Amino acid sequence: MPQNNDQRKDPLHELYPFLHGGKKDSVSENTALLESIRQKSQHSLDIKQKFFTDNAQALIEAARAIANVYQNKGRMFTMGNGGSSCDAAHFAVEFQHPVTAGRPALPAMNLCVDTAMISAVSNDVGVRHIFVRQLDAHAQAKDGLVGFSTSGKSENLMEGYRKAKELKMVTIGFTGGDGGAMKSSNLVDHCLVVKTDSIHRVQEVHVACYHILWDLVHTLLADQRGRLSDNRIDNREEMR
Amino acid sequence: MKYVDEFRDPIKAKALIDEIHALKDKIYRIYDKPLQLMEFCGGHTHTIFRYGVEQMLPDWIELVHGPGCPVCVLPMGRVDDCVTLAERPDVIFTTFGDAMRVPGSKKSLLQAKADGADIRMVYSPLDALALARKNPDRQVIFFALGFETTMPSTALTVLQAENEGIENFSLFCNHITTVPTIKAILDSPDMQIDGFLAPGHVSMVVGEKPFKFVAQTYDKPIVISGFEPLDILQSIWMVLKQRAEKRCEVENQYVRIVPAAGNPPGLNAINKVFELREFFEWRGLGSIDHSGVKMRGTYSRFDAECKFTVPNIKIADPKSCQCGEVLKGVIRPWECKVFGSACTPETPMGALMVSTEGACAAYYNFGNLPKLLAKRQQKEQSNENKESAA
Repeated sequence: MPQNNDQRKDPLHELYPFLHGGKKDSVSENTALLESIRQKSQHSLDIKQKFFTDNAQALIEAARAIANVYQNKGRMFTMGNGGSSCDAAHFAVEFQHPVTAGRPALPAMNLCVDTAMISAVSNDVGVRHIFVRQLDAHAQAKDGLVGFSTSGKSENLMEGYRKAKELKMVTIGFTGGDGGAMKSSNLVDHCLVVKTDSIHRVQEVHVACYHILWDLVHTLLADQRGRLSDNRIDNREEMR
Repeated sequence: MKYVDEFRDPIKAKALIDEIHALKDKIYRIYDKPLQLMEFCGGHTHTIFRYGVEQMLPDWIELVHGPGCPVCVLPMGRVDDCVTLAERPDVIFTTFGDAMRVPGSKKSLLQAKADGADIRMVYSPLDALALARKNPDRQVIFFALGFETTMPSTALTVLQAENEGIENFSLFCNHITTVPTIKAILDSPDMQIDGFLAPGHVSMVVGEKPFKFVAQTYDKPIVISGFEPLDILQSIWMVLKQRAEKRCEVENQYVRIVPAAGNPPGLNAINKVFELREFFEWRGLGSIDHSGVKMRGTYSRFDAECKFTVPNIKIADPKSCQCGEVLKGVIRPWECKVFGSACTPETPMGALMVSTEGACAAYYNFGNLPKLLAKRQQKEQSNENKESAA
């Protein structure tokens, strides 16, 4: 934005450019933005690399647990709040809608999607019960539950895990920071902790993590694909 | 102390409180929701608690404590950067006293000093410059911290160093600006502020003009306020009066100190030495556009970030500490889960507990701690009861 001489002389214009309807020069802004991208992407890479170095075996164990659910004709349920509810949705869709040819669709239900159910339970009982009620209605011992919480402290997730353990389901958790209650409780069988307090960095690792997990599960199930299709037919017949 | 006593006169305070009460029915409030007034400056917060101003006010006024304590909003990563600089064997690191105890991710400057780093407390950047003169074989770094209030003295010290040809002096610049931050607060969907007390000492440098956008663009009354209890009460009354009269203006209660045009020589010194950063990270508030300054290229030989390798570490606050929510006024300090237990002025977890101007420290020191902790327990209990009853 062109500036007249009076504006250039005004020290307040230099200190608070937004008051005068203008930003600083675009070159300086672009340099700062490039540096910001460099720093944040490097931080993201460092966190990701450290997580997978430290947790590769734990990830395989989680994949085995999920594969076991499908081998036993079970299905996966997913839960999370806010951005993590999008991860819960993403996780479920990966399994239901495989993007790689030759891999079967596997049953996974996102517990964050039914607004009527969630608003009813939140209003009548409390937010901490929104996942419990749905698990009560749908889940069985052969099923699995996956939760996403960047702090590991979400009360509604912890209630969900309590219910899952009552039902003897297998439980998996994606979290951040120090893992919070998800890590310290004995309710989560496979707890994958991204050790940073940056919510963005935690969620970035979660995405990479469940993409890899999805792949591992299909690799583990590779020699049972025919049987998995039969399982789905059996499931439908059971439902009828 | 004659002059100060006049600003603490209980009879005048009582008269102002009566005037405030009298405005109640003249101010429109939605569903009788309390009016939320933000005192931006940590100095105001300190006075409010020290003199019990909040308890004097009617319950239809709620004071929200703003992020106006530069020590409190310093991100943890910048403290780590300070420690890295201070632990260099060739460096004497100088800082104001209140920054010594701000926790970094591994240690504070005070702990680094105990570990052997040469860290010295100073009262002015000129003290740091004097150290540089006395120790020509060492690099003296001054931890430049503060709002617009302290920027002129830092800038003038750099100009002095330039005049004297002192080359072993530099700044680790963490100066931040208040005005873009008030805008960020006004833009935040979490904030429902009905009026502001503007920072008095910042205004002494920048004048009244930069606050006009608060009234003109956001339709919020704003009063530049002094720091004595009567200053605060009068400023609150002035904000309320504007609301009662349906006016939105910048008014200056602190006329004995704040000239309408601020301090032009101070502003010129700032602009000569510093330029805006495109954005700066605030603890609890995140990155705010144009809210910090760095040294201009022509003064890079006095810039510690150019002279030395600074790691520029990004560290998020500990999850258990809710400084961010307190800074945004979303929760009160005593509602934080670690307030008064894991986080105390002796062992602060969050920066708001470090400085005497921090809202948490003010509540802790002057807010009747047992009562506040009982209040928190009661609130937690009531939340649990609500859910189990349902």
